[in-house]
Parts: sequence; C-alpha cells; structure tokens
Amino acid sequence: MVAIRWEFRPQSTPPWERTELVKITVNGRVVDADPKLPLIRACHDNDVDVPMYCYHPGLSAVGSCRICQVEVKQGDTPGRVMVACRTTPVEGMIVDTESSKAHETRRECLEFLLKNHPLDCPICDKAGECDLQDYAYDEGQSTGRSNEPRRPLEKRKSLGEVIVLDEERCILCSRCVRFFEEVPKKAQLTIRDLGSRSMVSTFMDRPLTGNYQGNIADLCPVGALTLKNFRFQARVWNLVKMASTCVECSRGCSIQVETLRNSDVKRFRPRANLKVNGHWMCDVGRFAVEHANADGRLEGARVLEGVQMLQTPIEDGLCVVRDALMASKGALFVLSPFCTVEEGRALQELAKRHQADIAFVSPAPNALKDDLLHTGDPCPNRRGLTDLGIVGDSPANLLKRLAASKVAVIAGERVVELLGTSGVKDLPSTLALFAFECHPVESKSLRAEIGIANHVERIGTIVNVNGERGPLAAAKPAPRSVRALTRHLEDLARLSPKKETATR
Amino acid sequence: MALPKPLTAEFDELVKNYPERRAALIVALHRCQEELGGWISPQTMEDLAEYFALEPVEVFGVASFYPMFNLRPVGRHVVSVCHNISCDLRGAQDVIAKACEVTGAPLGGTSKDGKWTVKHVECQGACANAPMFDLDGVYHEDLTIEKVAKILGAVR
Amino acid sequence: MKTYETYLLDRAKVEGAHQLATYKKLGGYKGLEKTLKSGLTPAAVVDEMKKSGLRGRGGAGFSTGMKWSFMPDITKDPRTRYLAINADESEPGTCKDRVLMEGDPHGVIEGSLIAAYAIRASAVYIYVRGEYRLSHDRIAAAVKEARAANLVGKNILGSDYSCEVFMHKGAGAYICGEETGLMESLEGKRGHPRQKPPFPAQSGLWNSPTTVNNVETVFNAPFIVERGAAWHAAIGTQNSKGNFLVCISGHVNKPGVYELPFGVTAQEILEEKAGGVWKGRKLKAWFPGGSSCALLLGRDVDVVLDHDSLRTRGSSLGTAAMVMMDDHTSMARVMEVIARFYEHESCGQCSQCREGTQWLSQIFHRIAHGLGQDDDIATLEALAKGMAPAKTICALSDAAAIPTLSAIKLFKDELTQCIRDGRDPLGIPAPKYATVGAH
Repeated sequence: MVAIRWEFRPQSTPPWERTELVKITVNGRVVDADPKLPLIRACHDNDVDVPMYCYHPGLSAVGSCRICQVEVKQGDTPGRVMVACRTTPVEGMIVDTESSKAHETRRECLEFLLKNHPLDCPICDKAGECDLQDYAYDEGQSTGRSNEPRRPLEKRKSLGEVIVLDEERCILCSRCVRFFEEVPKKAQLTIRDLGSRSMVSTFMDRPLTGNYQGNIADLCPVGALTLKNFRFQARVWNLVKMASTCVECSRGCSIQVETLRNSDVKRFRPRANLKVNGHWMCDVGRFAVEHANADGRLEGARVLEGVQMLQTPIEDGLCVVRDALMASKGALFVLSPFCTVEEGRALQELAKRHQADIAFVSPAPNALKDDLLHTGDPCPNRRGLTDLGIVGDSPANLLKRLAASKVAVIAGERVVELLGTSGVKDLPSTLALFAFECHPVESKSLRAEIGIANHVERIGTIVNVNGERGPLAAAKPAPRSVRALTRHLEDLARLSPKKETATR
Repeated sequence: MALPKPLTAEFDELVKNYPERRAALIVALHRCQEELGGWISPQTMEDLAEYFALEPVEVFGVASFYPMFNLRPVGRHVVSVCHNISCDLRGAQDVIAKACEVTGAPLGGTSKDGKWTVKHVECQGACANAPMFDLDGVYHEDLTIEKVAKILGAVR
Repeated sequence: MKTYETYLLDRAKVEGAHQLATYKKLGGYKGLEKTLKSGLTPAAVVDEMKKSGLRGRGGAGFSTGMKWSFMPDITKDPRTRYLAINADESEPGTCKDRVLMEGDPHGVIEGSLIAAYAIRASAVYIYVRGEYRLSHDRIAAAVKEARAANLVGKNILGSDYSCEVFMHKGAGAYICGEETGLMESLEGKRGHPRQKPPFPAQSGLWNSPTTVNNVETVFNAPFIVERGAAWHAAIGTQNSKGNFLVCISGHVNKPGVYELPFGVTAQEILEEKAGGVWKGRKLKAWFPGGSSCALLLGRDVDVVLDHDSLRTRGSSLGTAAMVMMDDHTSMARVMEVIARFYEHESCGQCSQCREGTQWLSQIFHRIAHGLGQDDDIATLEALAKGMAPAKTICALSDAAAIPTLSAIKLFKDELTQCIRDGRDPLGIPAPKYATVGAH
C-alpha cells in the first residue's frame, strides 16, 4: 500500500487530548479511533494507508472522489464498501482496507479517473509525487480500455502570478475550491458547469489573490495546479527533502526544504504541524527560496589591509577579531534575529567573556501580517533570543550605539539588511566593526568580515512567537569555505591568546 | 449596485421566506434572467454576489450549474426542444430540424438576426404529448412539422 | 380490466378546480379539517399513513408513513422542522405530477399541510422545476387563496397548528430531484447530493430535520385521512396499495396520464387505456418506470404493475412512467438517448458517475452511428458494473448503469450486429442531429 506523503500526514491527536475513543478493528488489528474524526483518520493514524483525493485532513470531507473506499462490517451485516472519509468509527467496527472488494472498487474508480486524464507524466511537474500515479501503480491499473478521445481543455491557464491550471489534468476533487473557502475564508475558485463538463474556474478569469495561493499546488493531488516558478525546474525524485522551519516571520511554520542534489534549494513546502501552521504556509515564506540561493556570498574571511579588504585564511580573520575584543572594553555585539538559539547562546558567552553589550536587531512589524499565519514580525527567532535574555533594539538605536562604540561585532544572516545597508555603510571609522555575515559588508568601519552559513545550510533551533521550537536543517551545502557561525565561534574560543600570525 | 430597484425590492421580500438569505439566490437568478435580457451577465452575477454577501465566483458556480440559466446572450425568442426518449420516439429529431430551418438558428445557437435561439433540452414533463418544445416559457405539445412551422412562423 | 374507483384525477378533470371555491365545492379541504379539528395527533396521522400502505411515488417507493416516522422526537429535539415537496419531476417519461399541479393545486397544498402536520413542520417549501411555469403559478395562486381563507399560515382553521407554505423554483437540473440534491438547491447552492448519513430527518434543510416527499405522494394524504387507512389498504395488491398515476408514452395510440389501482397489468394499461401499440406494430421493448429502471421485453407486458412484481421480473416501478417502443425501434439509438441524458445530468462529484456517464454516452453514440468497436459491449458491461450498486453519493450512477446492463442482457445480439455491420440492423438511419453531450 502506497504511503501517504509524509508531509501531509498530520500529527495524531495526543492521547491526553482525545476523549471517548472507540475500539475498532483495522486489517485485523484492534486500534483506538476518535469518533469525532472520520474513519480514514483512524486508519492513517495507525499506519494503515487509505488512498485519498478529495479528503484532506485540513479541509472538510465531501466524499466525492470515492477512492478511499474500504470494506466495513458492522455487527452481523455483510461487509459493505464505504468511503472512509465519511464514515464515523463505531465501537466494534471491522474495517478491511485490503480486501478484494475494496481493491476492486478502488481499481474501478481509478479506471474512471484515468479515462480522461492526459498522459502528461513525462512533462508534468507533479510526476514522482502524484497521487494518481502512485495509486494507479499500486492498484495495478497499467492499461486503459477507453476507445474515446480525451476531453480537450485549456492546458496552461494562468490563475494569476503564482498558479497555472492545466484543466485536462484536473480530477475534480474540489480541494482547491474548499481551501479558499475554509482557510483564508474567501472563495476564489468554484466548479463551473456540471457533470462531465465541470471544471475548476475563477470568476471571469480574475487572477487569484492573497498570500496563500501556493497551498493549492500542494493540495492538488495531480499536476492540474502547479507553481509557475517551479515549472520544469526539477524532477522531484532528484530533490533531497529535509525538515526545517521557515524564517520569514516569527510564526516559524514547519517546512521542508527541497534541494536539487548538492545544488540549489528548489522549493519550500509546508509540513503538517497542528500546533503552528496546520497544513499550510504563506507565499512570502514559500517563495523566499531566492534568499536561500542568493549569489554573491561572502566566502572565507576578509581583513582590512590598508584601504582594501583582502582574502585571508579564516583563522587569521578570527585572530583579528579576537585581538580586537581582547583589547577592548565595552564592545557591542549586535545579533541578527535570524541567529539560532545555539548561536545566540554562544555569542552571549563570548560577549560575557569580553564584558561586551549584546542586543539583537528588532525592526518594526511589517504590513504582511494577516489573520492566518504571517505574524508581520520579520524576526524568526525573537522569542528564542529574548528567552536567552538578549534584548531587542530598534535598527535606528542600534546604529547610534554602534556609531558610539569602539569595537563591535555584528553577527547573523541578514543583520546588515535589517540594520539598514546605508546606515551600516555610514558607520564611522572610529568604530572597529567585525562582521559575521552571508554577504560582503560595505562599511567605513569594517575591519574584518567572515562568511557564515544561511538558514538552509546549518542546523540550529529557532523559537516561534508562541514558544514552539523549530529545527533548521542543513539542507544545502554552504559555498566553499563558508562555515556555520557556531563553528567560527568555537574556533574563536579555542584560539590561544596573541597567536603570532605571519600576515599581521 | 446595478440591479434595478424593483428587483431588489422583490428580493427583499423573497429572502424573508427563508431562514438564510442565500436560499433565494436561484429564484433571484430566474428573475434577473427574465428582466435583464434573457441571460445572466457577469455584471448581474457581481450584483447578485453583493446582494447576497457572496463572492462573485460563488454566484458563478451556482448559475453555471443549472441548464436553464443562459450565461451568454440569447435571441429575443428561445425555443427549447426536448430530445429525450419519449419525444425522440415520436419525432423530436424532425422537430429540431424544422425549428432550426424555420428560425435560421443553429442548434444550440442564435440566428444571425438575433431573433432566435434554438436549444435542445432534456425531459420537460410533456411525455404524454410528445414531441414538444418550450417557446419563451410556454409549452407547445403534440407537435407536427406543420405545427412547428406555423407556431414559429407566427412569432413577430 | 375490472371497474374501479377513482379519486386522484377526479377534481383535476373539472374545469376551474384549481380555484378555491370550486375545490371546496368538490369536497376539498375536508381532509385537512379532519386532521386539525377532530383530535388527531401528528403521531396518529403518521400511524394512519403507515397502515394505509402508501408508498412514495417519486421513484423509490419507500413507505410514506415510515419515512414520516423518522423525524426525531419533538420533546428531545426542538429544532424547527421542514417539509419539502419534490415537484422537480424530471424522470424521462414522467408527466403525472404536472397534471396534479396544474389541475388540482389545492389538492397538493392540502396534502402538503397534512404531511407537515404529521411531521410537525412549521414550513413547507414546494420546489417546482423551473420549466413548469404554469404549475408554479397555479400553486402560487392557490397558496394565496388558501392563506386568505386561513388554510395556510397562523392557526390554520382556528387550530393550534401554524404552517407556512413557500414556493421555490428549480432551474433545469434533474439531479435536484434527488432529495439531498433538492435540499442543496433549495439552500441556494449547486445541486450536489449529500452523503447519507446524516439523513434528512436528522439534518436536512439548514441542518434541521426535514422530510422530502413527492407531489403525488402527499396528494394521497387527504383521501387517506378522510376515508381511512383501511379503505386505502383495501385497494391494490399485497405490496402496493391504493390508486396511482401512470404515464404511458412513446409508440402508443393514446399516450396519457391515467389513474389506475395497483394490480392491473401493463398489458391492460397498454391495450385498454393507451389504445395499444401504434401503427399496428408490435411492442419490442419498454421501460416500466422511467429510464432509470431496467428495460423489459414486449412479452413482459403481462407483468402486474406494482413494486414487487416488477422487481421479480427484473425491473422496478420507479415513477410508473411506461415508455413503449415498437419493433421499428433501434435499441442502440434508445440507449444513446438514455446515456446522453445521464451524462448531461450528472452533478460531477463522484468519479465513477462523472466519467462513467460520459463514457457510456460516448460508446452508445458510436454504436448508434455505425462506429462501434468489438470490445464495446464488454466495456459497457464493465463500466456499468463499476458504477453500481451503491458506490456513489447518490443513485444517478446506478440509474445510468441499470438500463445499460438490461440493454446488454436483452439486446446483445442486436447491439453486436449493429457494431459488426456498422449500421443499425433494422436499417433505421442515424439521427440527423448529433445530440451528444453538453448543453
């Protein structure tokens, strides 16, 4: 039995939250089932995979696709094939998802769906993660007996900036229609016409709007709704998937980072996390892939020699930093709110050792806040750093404090962007500025800069606005000679004082 | 909102018949089609959406479901010929052919002069008096080719 | 045929019976009066209906009294209740409700009110198909008259019972004749049938307990209340009680709507009411109850037209719409029309129905136009088996599969020859207009 895609498998309700469970038998095993949830959930939660198209754990159940049919026996009545998504578990129910009747009914259903579905697999982005492919393969439906022409429909219908609809591939599960009605709670799609002529449609070709459009490409079980920016970008079986956390706001949605083998990150997709983001993520986070792949990275270390920044071995760069810190009193550490808990702790210790002040950049909330996921707070780890005792300060204030300091370290992904690139550029040369950043820093005050890994290149923990901890994954290899900030800080701590360096 | 006042006044009374306003939508669509040119235009759908506090796309989904609602302009007169079994057994095909010939409208379309639309429809409940057509809301039953020519020919 | 008492169509035959004064003169509203003024409790009315043996006339033939008894106990569930009258008559071959609605609208209202009283409904919605303009207008006018005469609205006939009657319209979708499709449509949405359970009696219109009844079914209620359940149960056969309306259409001399007691045979109806097969021809095949039941052969006219007899014969009573086909009829053509109807009317929710009705329609279209292929019949059979029984949300899928399977069972040779010869065996020309698919 094919596995339900792991990114969609919801986390089971924890035992202490469930009430009044009933005992049912599924494929010979007695399991607990929550009668408030449909039978298909009881099956999925107990690792019995029942196929589904129109059902989705984050949406209402309609029971229209008919693929989730399983054989159910209740008491003395003979086994009946019923749709698991609209069946309530009842004490003593006996469910067989693998009986010949269940298989036959599913195979018939697939034959009907494949009758009009175009043979687009070679050119379809969804291949490799397509529920129609997978269930057809599983049920052994390898040939079709239709002598009829398939219905010709629009194959590249733009639904706006994010989504393209291929009408021929649509199997009319209505997940996309229900998504807009139930999640952002504003209908944008409908099914027009009826019967064999029915099709997903907008009103008068109006483009989709809102910050959650990308989710319907995830929801679509087939390649009917696809992302424009992922079109023909990669074959999904070449993507390595790692569980991570989104960093575009303080919601910290659980995501998976999908990287083309040893190359770029190709997409972010949501992971089901009922405590944080349900099954969804917003488009701001989804399409922040470009940040992850940005060019122009700061590699290795660069130190100011005369008027130029010259490439040096990393160790030498770290020595320069150490020397400056040891010689200073009252240095200032400015952290990016993208720093992980581990990085925050390490920098805190370093600051303590050198009696330095420490703060993180806390920009004002942006206008992206919505009723659903985006918090409007661009600091992904505000809570994590605050919980450590590091205080946030506004970019304007921090620039003032930096200007008034003699020695300062700014560390973390996007710290310069959040402080303000022009503000950092204008920092006076009376300040000895040391930067741990992803991209080269431009500043009169810069003495040394060392490249660090970004949020898809190193592991760490960030804490979201509600205190939920989320992991970061090293999904993509960092560029040559770029290391994680924690690694630099460890190396820095291990450097013996006043090491003689040939370059100085 | 572009819906004429008499219509919205009608709808204000109509919605009182139901515990939820939206239930009046289909009757409202009928009235709009009757009063606003024989079809449901995109503007009408937007206006109805505003009246019923729905999104236009939801009104579109409902309107496009029902065969009686014309989502494209139709001729001044609409002939709907039943082509289901009881009528087919008694010559519906000939009625269709004659209706198209007399009106000059293609089946499913509108005549060039905009006077006629000829549609084929499913069982209209006149099976005991087959074949039949509905002309502008009136049933004409027990048709013969001659009657078809006579009835349609008499329409100004 | 023996002589028999009539009551259903008696008033409709009288000119002006659609008006209140005439209706009352002909004995109308006595049933309602007895219901409300003679101490009959709602439960007693339900009981009377059960004893009468009345079975639904919308096509399913379910015991009306039993259906009414499914409504929840009012003391435990105080939600508002509704009665919906299914006047969306759209089954091919069926035109009987129209006769009642146009000719005897007060009878429909009276029956609805008695039914509403029995199930303790506070409102009746009469869902009339959009094409039945005269029916709608006649009933609307009758409701107005009735309201003015204290027969509709608050404290009907001075009793404690209040009930509103509202008109509603369909817009051309057959699937809105399915009870849950009707409810969705009444709520102002696309007419997509709902999954059952929950059943309408638990959660129907606006999540409230609802009963949906066919026009002819409730039309019987006043007679049963007035004359008694025993009177009704004495008419008809062991499993099908009372008089019923038959529509007979197609290749007969006198197509029409006729009132008959259960127990007559199809042959009696064909010969004695409809004047026999036209043009001196023989009967080749017929539908006993609309197009959603299995075809029967000409020789099957000896069957008694009631629920169980037809089931034994392999078909069903459905809406008692007899569609008669003479020996000059191409069965491929008949099935093309039937299959196309179901393709047109499928709501599109369920995979098997949405794709299957189109597939059946495409295959029958090819066969009827001389483009059949050798594996077509096997495919038709496989498809029909995949579409039925009870694999979908509603029974439209079954309704498409059943006549298909019967056509293959009874006319396999004809269809095979049609495919092999590339034309109809009887030499009947293919129809001039391609009437496949969409509207």
